[in-house]
Amino acid sequence: MTAIAHAGGVYRRSIVAQLRAIVEYPADFWIMAASGAFWQILQFAFLSVLFSQVPVLAGWAFPEMLMLAGFLGLAAGANALLSDGAWSTGSMVIKGDMDYRITRPAPVLIQVASAHIGMQGVGEFALGTAMLVYGWIAAGVSPAFIPAAVLFVACAAAINLGLVTAACGANFWIKGTGSYIAFLLVDLQGKTMSMPLKIFPFGVKAFVTFVVPLAFVNFVPVEVLTGRASTWWIVGPPLAAVFSIGLAALVYRAGLRAYDSAGH
Amino acid sequence: MTVAASPVRRGHPFSVDRALAVLSLKRKLAYKTTWIFSIAGGAWPLLAGLVVWQSIIGDGQVGGYDWAAMRAYLIIGFLTATIAWGGSDWDMAVRILDGLVAIDLTKPVDFQRARASEYVGSMASVVPTAVLGTVAAWFWFDPQPPVSATAAVLTAVSILFIFPLAFEISYLSVLLCFWTRRYHGIQWAKDGFLTFFSGMMVPLALMPGWLQAVSWSLPFAHFTATPSSIYLGRVGTAGALGLIALELAWVVAMWVIARLIWRRAVKKVTIHGG
Repeated sequence: MTAIAHAGGVYRRSIVAQLRAIVEYPADFWIMAASGAFWQILQFAFLSVLFSQVPVLAGWAFPEMLMLAGFLGLAAGANALLSDGAWSTGSMVIKGDMDYRITRPAPVLIQVASAHIGMQGVGEFALGTAMLVYGWIAAGVSPAFIPAAVLFVACAAAINLGLVTAACGANFWIKGTGSYIAFLLVDLQGKTMSMPLKIFPFGVKAFVTFVVPLAFVNFVPVEVLTGRASTWWIVGPPLAAVFSIGLAALVYRAGLRAYDSAGH
Repeated sequence: MTVAASPVRRGHPFSVDRALAVLSLKRKLAYKTTWIFSIAGGAWPLLAGLVVWQSIIGDGQVGGYDWAAMRAYLIIGFLTATIAWGGSDWDMAVRILDGLVAIDLTKPVDFQRARASEYVGSMASVVPTAVLGTVAAWFWFDPQPPVSATAAVLTAVSILFIFPLAFEISYLSVLLCFWTRRYHGIQWAKDGFLTFFSGMMVPLALMPGWLQAVSWSLPFAHFTATPSSIYLGRVGTAGALGLIALELAWVVAMWVIARLIWRRAVKKVTIHGG
């Protein structure tokens, strides 16, 4: 318990230090926040253009698709705000920067995750919320589901954070400054999970549900909220969140064992 | 410390450009595993796009595209997107952000030409991905063939223009770092504009008229909309030549605009501790 409190304290102090640095560059904050919002607006524009041509897609109408996009935006935004430093794993491994963090009396993963804040997350979070609320009202989802939606958003953030961090951890073995596995994961999520999962072949559905549980970020929650899936599925996102965070911790632990600093 | 503006040097020999391009290519290929993964990963967006658009179009048409035409559109989009995202704009940005540009100013090398050579060299690293992926997709998905042999040739010519266009859009974005001193947000915005207004995200023909007009008035449309329109015969030979002329005009205009911005931007050079 003390170790968890210590790690939490280190994380909080590191994030606050990052926030202080960001305050020194207000222009950068606004550019990043606007960029994050801009990508969400593009997603909205894409769906608007698409649904001006077709009334429904695999039984899904525009409001439900907005809910899918909203959950995705919220998860991406939370990931950027809470754990953006994970994207620096590759560069830290190549430059030997991990040495510095290994010698500090705090969990390495906590230090790396809080090494940066992606302020695009502000725009993603704001516009993601707007799309979710708009879609929710237009789809006529009952307000009684609001507590479940709050749980789903928290789980979506944890799943994204865990999976992206685990994917960035692959850079302990695949050397390079770019986190290509993580890019691939985010690309897979953007291309696949912004659409109803039922249009994809069985292999893809099984992969994003049971191997890399991206379906629990947005697809399963929207299925439950719109009454397409049984309410029993509500246990899925918390389980996927625990799995994803555990996976990130395991990958990072194995990666640090394999890490041999720079210059060898 | 703020340094005085250096005269723009344009006269370095072509061998310097070649050497810089080769060095940039080698740098990109240095991390082979990463490179292989980036190649393997490039196929996924194409496969996902095919599944999505097949369920949207079915046996009908959307925006004048039937399924065979859309397959061709998506494969051309894969080819052009792979090339467009292949360059290393961060390498250019870091030179400004870290102050290395101050050393560049002392070299007898034209900064803009040197960065162009490096950028094209880094783009060359993705050519195998683009070509192999396109050929494989061609045989696998059997898309609509080009409307004529002339259209095929003009499509290839229009795709070649992506190299200078991609560099110039990235370079103009990077020059903003002289004022913002950060590149991340600019890159996000640039990538967003390119993805949406090029037709990579959704064909321009599906957009409302006013948005199509906006898209076609920007250079981004020439990344996907122009090659696919020529290939599929949505424009005739005269129209295709007109689009290629427009690409050439954008290449020249952005090169000159970049020169003009550089003259102002270089006065803003800030070196660490200055």
